[in-house]
Amino acid sequence: MEYKDYYQTLGVSKTASEDEIKKAYRKLVRKYHPDVSKEPDAQKKTQELNEAYGVLGDAEKRAAYDDLGRGRQFRAGQEFRPPPDWGRGFGGAGGQPGPGGFGDGDSSDFFADLFANLGGRRRQQYTPQRGDDSHATITIDLADAFHGATRNISLMVADRDAQDRIVTRERTLSVNIPKGVTAGQQLRLSGQGQRGEAGPGDLYLEIQFRPDPRYRVDGRDVFETVPVTPWELALGADIDVTTPSGKVTVSVPAGSQTGRKLRLRGRGIPGKEAGDLYLLLEVALPPANTDKARELYRTMAREMAFNPRAGG
Amino acid sequence: MGQAMGTASGQAPVTAVLIDEAALTLEELARACAVDHDWVVQRVRTGILMECASDDSVSWRFTSADLVRARRLCQIERDFEANDDVAALVVDLSEEIYRLRRKLSAAGVK
Repeated sequence: MEYKDYYQTLGVSKTASEDEIKKAYRKLVRKYHPDVSKEPDAQKKTQELNEAYGVLGDAEKRAAYDDLGRGRQFRAGQEFRPPPDWGRGFGGAGGQPGPGGFGDGDSSDFFADLFANLGGRRRQQYTPQRGDDSHATITIDLADAFHGATRNISLMVADRDAQDRIVTRERTLSVNIPKGVTAGQQLRLSGQGQRGEAGPGDLYLEIQFRPDPRYRVDGRDVFETVPVTPWELALGADIDVTTPSGKVTVSVPAGSQTGRKLRLRGRGIPGKEAGDLYLLLEVALPPANTDKARELYRTMAREMAFNPRAGG
Repeated sequence: MGQAMGTASGQAPVTAVLIDEAALTLEELARACAVDHDWVVQRVRTGILMECASDDSVSWRFTSADLVRARRLCQIERDFEANDDVAALVVDLSEEIYRLRRKLSAAGVK
């Protein structure tokens, strides 16, 4: 595994006081908080900060971590193995292995390897624990919410090998996506969380829609921009529109303007109270790239005497 | 934990239950957030979590939105050592930001 320099992550010196560490952590975690940060890697950065502070903010873990690097000049990213006796005197090496929980899946291998057992071994009276619940997101197409689907999800999970060493492995689950799900809703997969001696925890999957330039979603309502010709708007027309639930024929009322919104009640994401589908009509002008087309535009200019800025 | 998605394989699908159709009990929510049962009770009693809760905590059922909110509250309280009221205010404001972003996006504003 790679050595992680937690002091570097928090941007503090190795001699930093508890207050300095807390201050540095607070400043950075606020900067990268996923709710406010626009940084593309905010989520990952927050996890790294939490991991670093989880160690440096705890006197016992910090002492154990410092002991690890003492006399050796590890650099961040360098290949690294903790010495076999590491951890003695910091909650006690040896003893029975702790329950199989290795954080909530947000910590690195480095952290899981070094500190999961430290906490587990500290217990005086060992009682088998149920594995922790895990959380992840699953990205689906909007159409999946209309029809239901079965999708695969790959998760990186910490596990123990035959020698009781912690290893990371990829686990793929095939998951049924019920019809009618919306973004932010949670699916619960019973017994698919982290392993524990008293049984596994559950896995929660948060639904996210894959961005699709054709559609925008607010709850169960779906918004779609539909390009239309000037004559379809002016004269009215029955037009075919591809929607997330399939093709529909829509009547554009005569005399419509660009920007007009048509509501198709109950054609949004299905459910007990199905959402609506809103079609935003947007005029698309035919290009004036032939003599004939230019002549038609000139005829309109001449015959229609239309000035959209009149009175403005 | 990472996320990825591919096409369905030949593997038998795991049954996923939509929380809003089989809402979580108090114990299940506490476990999903890795907090004590009392942490949840206190936040329901003070109106931070779950609107219109009855007195009987056995009958409480939590939805997807409650789970997301409870996990955000935990994170703010832990990251900033914030008290529950301040964390609730932060989460209220971030929920309002999400709501407004959805409206902007629905209106076609990037």
